[in-house]
Amino acid sequence: MTKRLGAAIMLAAACTAGCDEKLSDVAGPTPNLTATFSSIYQEILVTADPSGRQACIRCHRPGRSGFREVGMDLSTPDVAYAHLVGVRSVLRPGALRVAPGDPGNSFLIHKLEGRDLVGVRMPQNADPLTPGQIQIIARWIQRGAPRD
Amino acid sequence: MLRPAPFVVLALACALVAPPAFAQAPQDDPDRDFSFEQPDFSLITLPTTLRLPQFKSSFRVTHRFNRPLGQGDVGDLAGDLFGLDAGAQIGLEYRFGLMRGLQAGIYRTSDKTIEFFSQYNLLQQAGASPVAVGVLASIDGTNNFRDSYSPALGVAISRTIPRVGALYVEPIWVNNSNASPSELVDDNDTFLIGVGARVRIRPTVYLVGEIVPRVAGYDPGVTHGTFGIEKRAGGHMFQLNFSNSFGSTIGQLARGGLNNDDWYLGFNISRKFF
Repeated sequence: MTKRLGAAIMLAAACTAGCDEKLSDVAGPTPNLTATFSSIYQEILVTADPSGRQACIRCHRPGRSGFREVGMDLSTPDVAYAHLVGVRSVLRPGALRVAPGDPGNSFLIHKLEGRDLVGVRMPQNADPLTPGQIQIIARWIQRGAPRD
Repeated sequence: MLRPAPFVVLALACALVAPPAFAQAPQDDPDRDFSFEQPDFSLITLPTTLRLPQFKSSFRVTHRFNRPLGQGDVGDLAGDLFGLDAGAQIGLEYRFGLMRGLQAGIYRTSDKTIEFFSQYNLLQQAGASPVAVGVLASIDGTNNFRDSYSPALGVAISRTIPRVGALYVEPIWVNNSNASPSELVDDNDTFLIGVGARVRIRPTVYLVGEIVPRVAGYDPGVTHGTFGIEKRAGGHMFQLNFSNSFGSTIGQLARGGLNNDDWYLGFNISRKFF
């Protein structure tokens, strides 16, 4: 009976392991995107989508418009993290660009979703992020926006 | 995408948990005896511990009408025949007794959810055992079992009161109750405890009720609740019920009711083929 019970538990574990939804299905055009800073940096900030979304770093680096206007530099992972997490927004000084643990009050999410805006929706003059991509970024913020 | 093979899982689970089958069902199978306390295999949505005789079967149809009973005034409600003019979530269920104490079945609802389920009655209420215990295993999948699978494991514990009715407590763990990937959510599983009762108020008339609180994990919406009245007529059971959600599979129960302000009329009809 004990062997049967053990086998039943292993069978249930094997079954349930295959039942979770795939993150890549949510991530859409960036199937490798995960809710970590390094993945977001690589897949969203510095890489464009073939579908038409521009990389953020295209404008947010020294000498480009996104740096001149709001002072945001995403040129390296360390610099990008320092310019995003816990930093006051230039356009909305009462808000943080990324408020760790609070995606709903992170101005970055507002800019990506195009709601409650000051200025224009990001990425400017390009396709927006998909809802799934934004959801993954929001999850990273909800996790406390770690430098992982 | 790795997909569970439901028939294989069901068959293996049956083989692992069940004792060896008898070559032939006994002629005077006590499982064929009518039970005044447990006249059906379900309360409203939760399973009972009633045993299905070997090689016998049962069929059930469920309806949950989409019109909230509180919408508009009484005249509006009567004009819609208490919701019957509205659309409904319809479910069809077939279950079969594989061997003594072991039953399995399939249930499909009109939102294209398909549930495969099995139940093995481990203990019967008799002698030293004050309760009956059934082990439950199920898996449901949306989009005609193509997406979002929610397997569940649990037990149904019942205590019958001779010729009066039965009480039920059913702790059940539901995996992947949240349709988002586990990387994006805090809770992907739900642990619920179904509590229900069936009370015989006339020789063939019963009152039934259930509530399914989620005690841990993913718990959107409100606690599923439902109650009803039913009439037995031979091998048929006709039940009229009122619910705060359309949920009728274990995975749907884990996702809770819509809200406590809207209640919906529904009915279940079941037929035993033995």
